[in-house]
Amino acid sequence: MAYEEPITDYDEIVENCTCAFCGCNCDDLDYLVKDGHVVGVRHACRLGASKIMEDMDQRLIVPMVRDDNGELKEVDWDTALDKAAEYIANSIRPVMYGWSETSTECMKEGLALGEYIGAVLDNQATICHGPSLQAVQNAGYPIQTLGEVQNRADVCVYSGSNAMNSHPRHLARYSVFCRGFFRSRGRFDRTVVTMDPKFTDTAKMSDKWIGFEQNGDYGFYNAIRAVLKGKELSQDVISGIPKEDIYELVEEMKNAEFGVLFFGLGLTHTLSKQRNIDIAIKMVQDLNKFSKWGLTPMRGHFNVNGFNIFMAFETGFPFGVDFARGYARYVLGETNTIDLLTRGEPDVFLVIAADPGAHFPNKANQHLAKIPVIQIDIHWGPSTELADVVLPGSFIGVECGGTSYRMDGVLIFMKKAIDKPETCRDDEWIVRELKERVMKLRKEPNVAPEYIPNPAAQ
Amino acid sequence: MHYANTYLDKPVVPDVNINKEGSEIVLKCMLNTGSDIYQGACKKRGSTLKEEYKNVSGTCYMDPRDMEKLGVNNWENVLVKTDWGEVVVNAAASRDAPHEGTVFICKGPWANTVVSSDTYCCSDPTYKGIHCTVEKTDRKVLLMADLMRLVYKKYVDEDDDETIENMPSLGELPVYKKKE
Repeated sequence: MAYEEPITDYDEIVENCTCAFCGCNCDDLDYLVKDGHVVGVRHACRLGASKIMEDMDQRLIVPMVRDDNGELKEVDWDTALDKAAEYIANSIRPVMYGWSETSTECMKEGLALGEYIGAVLDNQATICHGPSLQAVQNAGYPIQTLGEVQNRADVCVYSGSNAMNSHPRHLARYSVFCRGFFRSRGRFDRTVVTMDPKFTDTAKMSDKWIGFEQNGDYGFYNAIRAVLKGKELSQDVISGIPKEDIYELVEEMKNAEFGVLFFGLGLTHTLSKQRNIDIAIKMVQDLNKFSKWGLTPMRGHFNVNGFNIFMAFETGFPFGVDFARGYARYVLGETNTIDLLTRGEPDVFLVIAADPGAHFPNKANQHLAKIPVIQIDIHWGPSTELADVVLPGSFIGVECGGTSYRMDGVLIFMKKAIDKPETCRDDEWIVRELKERVMKLRKEPNVAPEYIPNPAAQ
Repeated sequence: MHYANTYLDKPVVPDVNINKEGSEIVLKCMLNTGSDIYQGACKKRGSTLKEEYKNVSGTCYMDPRDMEKLGVNNWENVLVKTDWGEVVVNAAASRDAPHEGTVFICKGPWANTVVSSDTYCCSDPTYKGIHCTVEKTDRKVLLMADLMRLVYKKYVDEDDDETIENMPSLGELPVYKKKE
């Protein structure tokens, strides 16, 4: 990399901003602002800096609607909102997907709208940590905050997660390199173990790399659990790992003073899906017989955890909540976005602060090509290529304040630093406006039919 | 205005120098998808229409030994096929090698075309551990907007893949009708 001159040409510094990239929600960033734009970011990682100094070429500035030729055309806010509200009000099976890169305040409006029209509300967890949430329901949630990790942890295990690439400051700020109250020497006081089939950048800086074979995670964790329970391993090699190495690793994990398991999409995306996380959680529970252990899922977006916590609090279910019958339902494999789309059920798709075009499998996106898609976002992305109505939102944590939840469930307020482009609106305003317009078009809310007991059964 | 630079032409990859013809025409591999730092930085900055996104996301990272078997060098094009579809992507040597028999494509519209949509009732599609074949090709890697047009055909009056693939490119900037 070529040397780059530091930025000296700026008007003001806005201190203590919160990064709107990953689940680390680093809240110590300083933005260098010139002429109402962020021209430099201090303390952020490459990812955070890149997101905050956005690409203005592709910023969505004006509301747009597709015309008869299939071309996007600039319209005024009223026209775009009315068009979107009309799609939603006339739909039978609307899906509202996204929410992870917007504020919790906006989700509140979204839930009110979803409940009113009987929509399915889902977020990015459905394609990333959904299996983790299912496993939490299956097996429990032995979690700790990242502050505890910083001050106490002496063994950090990264499993199926390449934190150096996807959460670059996680190791520096919360787990490995940082100094803590009981870990005053930082990195020297900690042991880092990476479990991943690939020799990732995280594995390269770890003390130990366990390169189990592809789809071998379930067998490997089972072997660890067996050894923890005092059993002898009968096979010499398990999931590509020699049994001696497993004994050694277990001994090390048992002797930890405070151990933490961070797990990522490497576990949730392989064949055993939530069973991988089940077994990892049970392994942590078993380890607690010998020492203190906790775990944290490495959440991707800055507020993906927020939607799950918010929905669990409001409706009882973390994601994939279906209001079609007038009450909240959550059926795995039925009310989740990918399953709905591959079955071809939805007739309107609202995507807010998410990018299904970039992250859904082909077969799911094929259905988006057949139905009206409403997009609320800040950048022109793959989803814009599939969208029929485009509503430009604002950038939480930079142009708009908002509340978000860090990956460990700690609540963080993200403050506003600069003004949004004049023609954009806050996500919260857009969703509230949509809700009011839909309510005008559809007078009756979607409620469950009155319960009439069957006289024959009495 | 002087901005701090987060832009990048291509991801940094190890050098390989393969001069001879490959020994295999079609290579059977295991496909993994996921994110890396270049893909994340480019996607979240919003530069998805740009050449940069094509290079960071539409790239198949391979073990140099696999590249030798196919006879491909860095930034030559390969065709990746699975049961779910096929896509043309760049080939590049992996920074995480050795992982012979496994290829990695960062998430994005290119990877989406070939990943499995099977959720096994667990909400999550199978993005990792998919059987695929990799072969050398002369077809070019498409920019994001062109790829979306080819794969989903939502706003194009044409059904033939080859015709759509050879249509004029939609370019690297947003295309929409401004208000007069």
